[in-house]
Amino acid sequence: MKDALTMSNINLYAVLRNLEDLCALDKEMAALIKGKSIGLQFVVKGGPRALISFEDGKCTFTRGTGKNNIKLYFKSPEHFNDMILGKANPIPLKGFTKINFLKNQFSQLTDKLTYYLKPTEVLLKKSNYLKMNTIFTIYTAIFALAEIGNNDKIGKLNAGRIPNGTIQLSVKNGPTVNITVKDGILEAKKGLVNSPRASMTFNSIETANAMLNGRIDPYSCISSGRLEMKGYIPMIDNFNKLLVQVSNYLN
Amino acid sequence: MKTYNYKRNRELFQKALKVIPTGIYGHLGPTSSCFIPVDAYPCFASRAKGAYIWDVDGNRFIDYMCAYGPNILGYNDEDVEAAVEKQMKLGNCTTTPFAIMIDMAELLVDTVEMADWAFFAKNGGDVTNFALMVAKAATGRKKTILVKGGYHGVAPWTQKLGYPGIVEEDVANNIYVEWNNYDQVEKIVRENPGEIACFMATPYHHPIFMDNELPKKDYWQKIRKLCTDNGIVLAIDDVRCGFRLDLKGSDHYFGFKADLMCFCKALGNGWNFSALCGIDALKDAVSSVMYTGSYWLSAVPFAAGIACINKLKKINAPKIMKSQGKKLTDGLVDIGKRHGFNLIVTGEPSMWYMRIANDDSLMLHQEWVAECVKRGVFFTNHHNLFMNCAMTDEDIEFTHEVADEAFKVVKARNKELF
Repeated sequence: MKDALTMSNINLYAVLRNLEDLCALDKEMAALIKGKSIGLQFVVKGGPRALISFEDGKCTFTRGTGKNNIKLYFKSPEHFNDMILGKANPIPLKGFTKINFLKNQFSQLTDKLTYYLKPTEVLLKKSNYLKMNTIFTIYTAIFALAEIGNNDKIGKLNAGRIPNGTIQLSVKNGPTVNITVKDGILEAKKGLVNSPRASMTFNSIETANAMLNGRIDPYSCISSGRLEMKGYIPMIDNFNKLLVQVSNYLN
Repeated sequence: MKTYNYKRNRELFQKALKVIPTGIYGHLGPTSSCFIPVDAYPCFASRAKGAYIWDVDGNRFIDYMCAYGPNILGYNDEDVEAAVEKQMKLGNCTTTPFAIMIDMAELLVDTVEMADWAFFAKNGGDVTNFALMVAKAATGRKKTILVKGGYHGVAPWTQKLGYPGIVEEDVANNIYVEWNNYDQVEKIVRENPGEIACFMATPYHHPIFMDNELPKKDYWQKIRKLCTDNGIVLAIDDVRCGFRLDLKGSDHYFGFKADLMCFCKALGNGWNFSALCGIDALKDAVSSVMYTGSYWLSAVPFAAGIACINKLKKINAPKIMKSQGKKLTDGLVDIGKRHGFNLIVTGEPSMWYMRIANDDSLMLHQEWVAECVKRGVFFTNHHNLFMNCAMTDEDIEFTHEVADEAFKVVKARNKELF
């Protein structure tokens, strides 16, 4: 069962967070924000808050609030989730003169993100698409996993069973993410860490993509050596239980 | 020392993946068995004898997992196999059971100190589950106290909320306590008057990935009294420890008397059956519960069980396994120390747990175990290991040689840590 607050956190902190990388990795999208100076504040009553800034041709995602010139308000997590599904509109509190940015560039950005996150068999045959889909899917999954572990009722139980330490998840010749656990609280980050207590390494972008998109199950990946795990396995074992919940939330 | 090649193992595993979920599922599979890295381990056996298994590439291993416990006398023990062959000629799974089931029950009642009767099933999980049903039937209560990290099988109540396939109601009547914490158990009993049907635990704490812990002095005696005073059934899951510590039962070994005892692994030296033994006061409750299975009264495993238990008694099996286990583990610790490894050994020597404690991630331990496996010594890195009665001094000596080389390889690979 999907919890509305957890879903709204995922939508903002895991899905929309990807705009940062989209503008860095996709030249077309980078061109779209060139010269823009926008601070887009999302405020969800009883839910997540984040600032997405477009400055000097870069996009930056920050949890919480900050300097902004557009503020979008949502009266509940459900309201925000409906907006993501295209069933509701935000309540603009500030930045009426910048509304064109939302209608044009921001809309194009989210459309492109959707394109990268919703693969088809034909698209996955293109190597660049496969790579981008893998990057955005793994980033979405890891940040969503942290939100589920920190907010969802069952997720909290699974997170509480993960011993303290950092788990690294990496793809050979691809992205690396990590998640640090401290007394059941999870924090997801991009990039390598020095001494993870446990690690999971995909042997290729193709394997990672197939598993993340549900075309191979993780246990078959591990048992056939395509996903190598090592270190303190109780961390990975309970991490994998959360990964199952990620699929339930994102599908 | 030459390391093994697993070409045929890999070919067969790829074949298995196409028709069997995860290739090999459960505790014998590469995932649950923590084969790290996967390519260091064999997947399929071609034969087994005594202390050894041979894989499909012809590699020989001293098997310190003993099929996760059932191999207690040694694979294909001649006395057990002769009894099996004799019974096979007479029959096995029949409409009316063979009278050999009475002989098996009598032998258990004569062997296990607390047992007044024996009830047969197939797996350990069958009898742990039945023990709870019997406790609930006998007391009319619904709650169970379990120890965190204890393993009692795979039925929904034995798993955790949040695991795939488990819903809230499956575990709603479980109350979890820390091992060796008597005060916690007493508090729970006080807070749930007339509601606790059963306290179930293993005789000592042998969770995976963690140092194993023996009971504190008087722990079991205090738990016994608490259960008696409050009408709670004390059920001991002796599936893993059974007959490796004491042929009279592990409760006897630790100086108390359980109400119900669950046995499985060591009963028939690999021939499949399990048993719930109990006290007279619970016999009526057992009779009242509908619990059965297609193969539970098959005769061949009983023939194996009778031969196995009689031989275990004759040779004083627990003493052999304890002394050989001590010889093996003392040597491993010493060899490790010489190379700068802190190998920690816990639990009873006949089924010890070990880990290299130089790092907190178990990565060094995983590397070392993998190097041992590749040289013919089958350890796992997550679970307690097992001795059997077929392991000789030569096997232990060979294991020490392999361990020595494996320590050297791991040390050379991780110079920065030494």
